[in-house]
Amino acid sequence: MAWKSVYWENVKEGQELPTVTTDITCTRVITGAIASRDFTPVHHDRDFAKMAGVKDIFLNNATICGFVGKYLTDWTGPEGELKEISFRIQTPCFPGDTMTMTGKVAKKYTEGDQHLVNVEYTFTVPGGRNCSGTGTIALPARGH
Amino acid sequence: MSIEFYEELKAMVGEEGSRIVAVDDVCKPMIRHWCEAMQDGNPLYTDEEYARKSKYGGIIAPPTMLLTWTMPPLWPPKEQPPHPFEKFLARMDKAGFYGILITNVAQKYLRPVFPGDHINFTYKVTDVSPEKQTGLGKGHFVTTTFIFNNQKGETVGTQSLTVLKYRIGP
Repeated sequence: MAWKSVYWENVKEGQELPTVTTDITCTRVITGAIASRDFTPVHHDRDFAKMAGVKDIFLNNATICGFVGKYLTDWTGPEGELKEISFRIQTPCFPGDTMTMTGKVAKKYTEGDQHLVNVEYTFTVPGGRNCSGTGTIALPARGH
Repeated sequence: MSIEFYEELKAMVGEEGSRIVAVDDVCKPMIRHWCEAMQDGNPLYTDEEYARKSKYGGIIAPPTMLLTWTMPPLWPPKEQPPHPFEKFLARMDKAGFYGILITNVAQKYLRPVFPGDHINFTYKVTDVSPEKQTGLGKGHFVTTTFIFNNQKGETVGTQSLTVLKYRIGP
């Protein structure tokens, strides 16, 4: 299988990333929590979540990190190297929610021999913004 | 806001706890488990042939798995030595700030993590805000910084986590 790469030269500041939507189910919430070894009951036990004051189980932070990493590197291709991510968490994401992910290239720059982009992204659910933040990725550059 | 209470919290900032070491090495089954749950098809994480030909020379763990390796065991529950952060939270609980909510996450990835690596970390409270009025109630924003190293003592990544520790109600 040929894997595509986004090259630094072809990126423009202000360029939008593809919008991605994903349907979140109980299975996605729970498998994300367990795969990240987060056994906190609010992420797998609905009764516990309700007692804690939320309407249902919800995505844990590590799964949101996983989704952010995937959203960015699905766009760049496997040659994109994640350098950092940073986000603010707002509304929880519950089973039954469709999550919509959007992003745009905020800045394109070099640092030493690295060719970098900063991407701003927002993940939205029916209840509001789940998270919004930035990510920095090093991209391959042609002729380097 | 009680100035004395805030000064007491500020005095607790910076205290470092003991190093926490993962039980197991970084391994391919856990990497695949994560990728299946996240539906992440990046071949660097699960395609041996692709990863071997890459600049890494082999499979790497998704950088966003940073915390996973050192998460506490499900069973049997492991007694961790008391950590200054727990002491910090307990002091806030005692003052009525029972609620806790994660508000900000920031992770930096400094080095690739390979199967066979053994991860450990330390963390400490690095900042506490003055009391703020939020939609959930009055509270303080508390930031902890984590440093993750591999078995060679090289830092593979860092995390900054901010929680709102709040008093429930107006």
